[in-house]
Amino acid sequence: MKNFKRNLALLSALALAGTMLAGCGDNTTTTTDDAATTTAAADAAADAAADNGDAAASDDAAADTTTAEAASADAASAGTGITLSDTEGKVFNIYAWNEEFKGFFEKYYTVPEGVTVNWVINPSDGGVYQQKLDEALSGQDAAAADDKIDMFLAEADYIAKYTNAAVTMDVTSIGVQPLDTEYDYTISAASSSDGTLKGVSFQCCPSGLIYRRSIAEAVLGTSDPAEVQEQLSDWTKFDEVAAKAKEAGYLMTPSYAETYRPFANNITTDWVDADGNFQVDDQVKAWIKQAKNYVDNGYTLTGGVWSDEKSAEMGKDGKAMCFFGPAWYYNFCMGPAWDEETGSKGDWALIEGPAAHFWGGTWLLAATGTDNPEMVADVMNAFTANEDICSKLVSEENQFSNNTAVNQKFADDASYGNELLGGQNDTAVFVELAKNIKFRSTPYGQVFNEDVPGCFVDYFTGSITEAEAWANVDKVLDEKCPSITHDCSGYAAE
Amino acid sequence: MKRKSISYAKWGYIFIAPFFIVFLVCTFYPLLSTFYNSLFENYWDASTFSQVGPNFVGLGNFKKLFTADAKGNVDILTYTANTMIMWIAGAIPQLAFSLLLAVIFTSTSLNVKGQTFFKTVIYLPNLIMAAAFAMLFFTLFSNVGPINQIISGGVSDKIVDFFNNVVTSRGIIAFINFLMWFGNTTIMLMAGIMGIDQSLLEAAAIDGATSGQVFRKITLPLLSPILVYVIITSLIGGFQMYDVPQVITSGLGNPNRSTMTLIMYLNRFLGTTKNYGMAGAVSVLVFIITGILSFGVYRSIVSGRSDPKPKKSKSKGVL
Repeated sequence: MKNFKRNLALLSALALAGTMLAGCGDNTTTTTDDAATTTAAADAAADAAADNGDAAASDDAAADTTTAEAASADAASAGTGITLSDTEGKVFNIYAWNEEFKGFFEKYYTVPEGVTVNWVINPSDGGVYQQKLDEALSGQDAAAADDKIDMFLAEADYIAKYTNAAVTMDVTSIGVQPLDTEYDYTISAASSSDGTLKGVSFQCCPSGLIYRRSIAEAVLGTSDPAEVQEQLSDWTKFDEVAAKAKEAGYLMTPSYAETYRPFANNITTDWVDADGNFQVDDQVKAWIKQAKNYVDNGYTLTGGVWSDEKSAEMGKDGKAMCFFGPAWYYNFCMGPAWDEETGSKGDWALIEGPAAHFWGGTWLLAATGTDNPEMVADVMNAFTANEDICSKLVSEENQFSNNTAVNQKFADDASYGNELLGGQNDTAVFVELAKNIKFRSTPYGQVFNEDVPGCFVDYFTGSITEAEAWANVDKVLDEKCPSITHDCSGYAAE
Repeated sequence: MKRKSISYAKWGYIFIAPFFIVFLVCTFYPLLSTFYNSLFENYWDASTFSQVGPNFVGLGNFKKLFTADAKGNVDILTYTANTMIMWIAGAIPQLAFSLLLAVIFTSTSLNVKGQTFFKTVIYLPNLIMAAAFAMLFFTLFSNVGPINQIISGGVSDKIVDFFNNVVTSRGIIAFINFLMWFGNTTIMLMAGIMGIDQSLLEAAAIDGATSGQVFRKITLPLLSPILVYVIITSLIGGFQMYDVPQVITSGLGNPNRSTMTLIMYLNRFLGTTKNYGMAGAVSVLVFIITGILSFGVYRSIVSGRSDPKPKKSKSKGVL
């Protein structure tokens, strides 16, 4: 009995210690081992000795310009396991905020022999990813060669923060050239304001309206994409259909924030003007008006765009008709819809909807000071120029690749279709939508597109007035964007 | 021959030295550096990818904190009030409930069986991480959670949006804090009650005092040193309330910032901007408020209750 008690005490103490440490689980570092760790470590030591400071780095750059032409010539076969020169580091560090790209990388990219890929993943929520990334990039100079960030991922909302800073490097010098097959906006988004290319995107993110066929049939009397598009082609029509959907016992959208991107991507004034003043475009105000109307009339739900409440609407018994999303949305957000038993696979279709827009997009940027410039270039070329990899992204992952030739190939292929969308060729739709992308990014983009709209939930649910919601926007900006001036007191519609 | 006297005093100092060293390094130095940081403008500017400051601004950060908004509200006072409301809503039931349990468990006339079991069980919630507790309650009370399924299943045809309502969201947070800490308080109070001389209680009973009278006239006054300790630690803990509301509201303090506590507000300045100046200023304010309130509680209970000598007291106790 005594022993039992002692063991129990030990066990509970361990459990306690365990739970204390569990909180530290945010920062997951995983390592893809492609070489025996022992050799990697030995090489790393030799490499660190060789790669001594900036002098060596500039040597690298000089060596790279000579190889640049050769590299771009075989960009199309990138990612198939190249042989690296001896100057390359043995540890490849990538910063990311989720597992999405990691999945594609591990599946389709052949890591050069002897290189260990080290993923550092921090969640994007509340700006944690940017915080950790900024810290690491600020310490890049002092870090040992194998600890330096080689490549990091940046999202559409805030990519401008990194492309304009010295922490990203000109990738044309290491063998990545802007390609004709890439979408223009993905190139300009990855370039600094003076036009220096800092990276690439592996995807193009035109976003459309993904509607539930069965509900469209009930509400509009048709589920044919062309006819549904006709009835939802602008916001006035959209609002009218919302009322009809309500009458028929359905929801127009699953979340008050569902229509945020279609509005916010069509802004014509920047969030921050040249003098550092915060300003709000009429499109954003139009969204606020619509969302309030929808919540008041019961056309939508009060959960956020990532809420469980919204996800539940994708199930078999879901009542919501219209979702907005790009190609990554199917895998990333529509999990419940895919389920054979409880889901709604095949009951969906994609159209342009009331407003052309895009949503998100992940760019790969090269970090200044990387000790793996050849591999950085190889990864970037693999996911843009290698048609084989790009094709697999479309056919196996339902992505919309950043390669116009590949996308066109699938768009023209009559036998190609998306299972979730009941066999509709969504790539053909996206090819058209991609022509209308008006890209904008600002360093504080995540705050503007997540925290600012978030201030209006209480207004939509009726617990505060619109003026109070705008006052809360001022508070958020005070806390999160200390360097911009703002006064939202005059924005309330009343 | 006179022997030199041996002083063991140095051993005393050596034995207490570790605490002071740890205190100086881990508590006192950070405290001073917080005061120091609060006087500077010092943050990371994401728009230019560069550090701003540290520039000395004197009390500028405090001035900013106390600047009223367009409607004349001073945010920091609102957040102080939020924190106090949620603390009190959790602490009062906690104290009452713990006191009741402590009396029941220590009562010789009731002689509750299986005390060790109950003590363990009521202490258990404290072993669970607050964040995990918060997640659990968030899931339970969410719009698609089990509580709302029960409500919409039979009680009413509408769901209750618990986290969009000031009273319910504050209530849930206070309840979690109550649930987590009442076991701890019960055990403290039991220790306090068991330290009271039983003969006093028996004497009172022989003199014909009812159990209520015994509790009010004997147990409570003699318990006051422990009560002071419990209330002050609870107050300090309450003012540092962070994890539960942070997790439940994703750091937003919704609805309308009514569950935003002081430490959550402090945390909003950290994150991407790393605004050490403003965060330092909030910390200093929390320190001052907690100090004043703790002193107030201490004075009121100590001078009001357990001062048997009729000293001429200069300050009148609150209680």
